[in-house]
Amino acid sequence: MIEAHVRGHRARDEEDGSAESSWFWQLDSRVKIVGTFGLVVVASLITRPEIVLVALAAAVAIAAISRVFPKRLLVAYAAAFPFIAFASVSVFLFSGWERGFTMLARTSSCVILLLVLALGTETFDLFSGLRRLRVPGLITTLLMLTFRFLLLLSDELERMKISRKARGFSGGRSLLDRNALRVISFTAGMVLVRASARADRVYEGLKCKAFERDMKPWRSTSVGAVDVVFLASFAIIAGLLAFGQYGALS
Amino acid sequence: MHIPDGLMDPIVALIGMLEFLAFISVAVYFSSKRLQEKNLPRIAVLSAGIFVAQMLNFPIGGGTTGHLIGGALLAILAGPALAIVGMTVVLLIQSLMFGDGGITSFGLNALNMAIIAPLTGWGAYTLLKPLASGVGKVGSELAVAAAAWVSVFIAAAACAAELAVSYAISGGAYGIAAPVSIPAMLGYHAIIGIGEGIITAGVVGYLMAVSAETFITSQDMPAAKNRWHRILASRTAQATLAVLVVFALALPLYFLYSSQGEDGLERTMTDGDVEEGDALLTSPLDYGDSYFAALFAGVIGFVAVVLASLGILRVMKPMTRRD
Repeated sequence: MIEAHVRGHRARDEEDGSAESSWFWQLDSRVKIVGTFGLVVVASLITRPEIVLVALAAAVAIAAISRVFPKRLLVAYAAAFPFIAFASVSVFLFSGWERGFTMLARTSSCVILLLVLALGTETFDLFSGLRRLRVPGLITTLLMLTFRFLLLLSDELERMKISRKARGFSGGRSLLDRNALRVISFTAGMVLVRASARADRVYEGLKCKAFERDMKPWRSTSVGAVDVVFLASFAIIAGLLAFGQYGALS
Repeated sequence: MHIPDGLMDPIVALIGMLEFLAFISVAVYFSSKRLQEKNLPRIAVLSAGIFVAQMLNFPIGGGTTGHLIGGALLAILAGPALAIVGMTVVLLIQSLMFGDGGITSFGLNALNMAIIAPLTGWGAYTLLKPLASGVGKVGSELAVAAAAWVSVFIAAAACAAELAVSYAISGGAYGIAAPVSIPAMLGYHAIIGIGEGIITAGVVGYLMAVSAETFITSQDMPAAKNRWHRILASRTAQATLAVLVVFALALPLYFLYSSQGEDGLERTMTDGDVEEGDALLTSPLDYGDSYFAALFAGVIGFVAVVLASLGILRVMKPMTRRD
């Protein structure tokens, strides 16, 4: 499951082939990060129901034209939905349906925009974009290594599952079983020990390839005309939303 | 416990972001100075492990699921500064790659899970460990479990307070009302904390037994040079500082949300037309109306309670020995 989750972001299969050739995928990662974050900040500030609906429509439109694979977007949105729904229902109960619906639409628009950024960008492009936006090297290096080691943990977990099955371990007991949490914690400990040994070797391999504790972008893209148009479009959308919220109020 | 964008009042989100930026700056500074290169992949593996642990939701009843936080685990194994950085990395991956937790609410998510959880977990562990060390391995595991439970519960309390504050100051446009957020968050996380406590104790116990030299990196601090550094290097001083930091962080929420109304007894006295008489003894201190006055009063109160508790324990120890 973990592997599918992570590999889903790294190795795009044929169903996502069109995404890689899309204009959104080709944009400079810094521009995508700044544009999306700016729009998310503005969208999260909106409280007027009709403007929130416009923001949601804009987010859905951006998702559609960015050519992010819709099924993956829906699955990721579904994973975030329970907390959005919980918040909206509680606002609905205490402040009425309009505010509850506004909360649902506002939160959904922000989540959709973030998912478009995540699914429409190569993982390591995103990390190197953050580094080029002056996020501390320690954090971006740990981001890269942590993401790399997720696959490694997943591999170790699968190998342990197979060897446990070979020894006759059935598992699948309730969490209320007195040994269940003990088994889980020992399994987690074992996976960490085994993954750590492999992580050391991976890190040595990186050092052999001239890695020096700080990640350096291997693809030095520069901001082009398309990036400027993208940023200007996002700024216009954000400006219109802000005007709809604050201009109409004054 | 991941707060999405658009749920929190902008002022609360901004305060959270500023507090997070202050803490992560200090944590990155200390981590960069202290982190040995050999430990870099280990911190990354631990962060990856915590990412996986946070992905796995388990049922806790009533159709609700919970997930582990892992802040105490990382803090106990790697120390507080690296734990803050490691947990921030986990939250960044969740937010940027999986849309789990937002951008405007990232400061608050990080404040709860990357700062409050590791600092309280580590502080509680450091304070409890000497008390529990007399009971051997079981005592040590109990200290780890209690620290993990405390970290989850306090982080959930902070999250519930942030939701309630957002609701109160926005007039219902943002956040979740206190009657929903506080009992739900505290109730569920009191149960989640038990699972977190048992699993954290199991993982730390296993790693201590099997591969202590590989994973226990929190002892890697360089030797203290002068008196001031020795005081700062004292684990009790650091743990007390961690608790004080959490207290100082929570205080703005007290000012944003605390009611100016009467408490239950005062209201009953007002209803019964009973007036409060002059006190026999007048206290030299007051809770205060400003941030720093209340912080000072809170710190004095905290230190007094700790000293009184330690004094009582000291008095009780010889008595139990005689028994």
